[in-house]
Amino acid sequence: MSAVIKTTTPFINKELLLQALKNIGCNFTLQGNEILTDRKDYYGLQKFSLNNGRYVFLHDSSAESGSQYMNVTKDYPWGNIKNQEYKSVSEFLKSVEKDYNSLYQKKLEELERLRLEEEKIRLEQERLAFVEKQKATIIERAKEQGYSIKEENVKGKIKLVLVRNTY
Amino acid sequence: MAEQRIVVTIDENGKINASTEGIKGEMCLDELQKLLGDLADLDSITKTDEFYQTNELKSKTKIEIKKK
Repeated sequence: MSAVIKTTTPFINKELLLQALKNIGCNFTLQGNEILTDRKDYYGLQKFSLNNGRYVFLHDSSAESGSQYMNVTKDYPWGNIKNQEYKSVSEFLKSVEKDYNSLYQKKLEELERLRLEEEKIRLEQERLAFVEKQKATIIERAKEQGYSIKEENVKGKIKLVLVRNTY
Repeated sequence: MAEQRIVVTIDENGKINASTEGIKGEMCLDELQKLLGDLADLDSITKTDEFYQTNELKSKTKIEIKKK
């Protein structure tokens, strides 16, 4: 085996990414195409930046060692602005990814539910329109044939009574 | 003066049931054909005794049509 690599889920959808950040308790601010988190490292706030259609997490590469590194270099400005428990970058990204994927799945299910609901409504409208058209055609033809028409609704069915007198 | 009556019932799926009264012999089928002919596929025709009584004033025929 030469090498095996794994990547996190590409964060493509901004709305879902922001919701995932909220869900894991990471505060953020928006700045153009960037999402500034409340996590900071040597270079300032860690952020997601839109790059080739996905949000890439930008951070000091040393930040990967996270809190462990923090313990040995007490003056290094790791951490969250609000002094929350600091997660390493990979831990943080795993949390975001887990929530992002869960939200994405829910979004798909919601879209499928809406699609089915819309399809159901469309089919029902199609059926009603068909029945109405049939009724209108029969009434029109009956009038042409000299019938008087009485319409009733009997247990959800349309009843047309056509009457004509001959001499 | 004679009364000719056609009762048409359309159910929620568009299936049609029609019956005639007071229309003699084959004429009742002609009348139904004029009204419903191309609206649906014919499922069955039940000719009642009155259908054959062409000289009688009254005839009765039932027709049932499937939704197209």
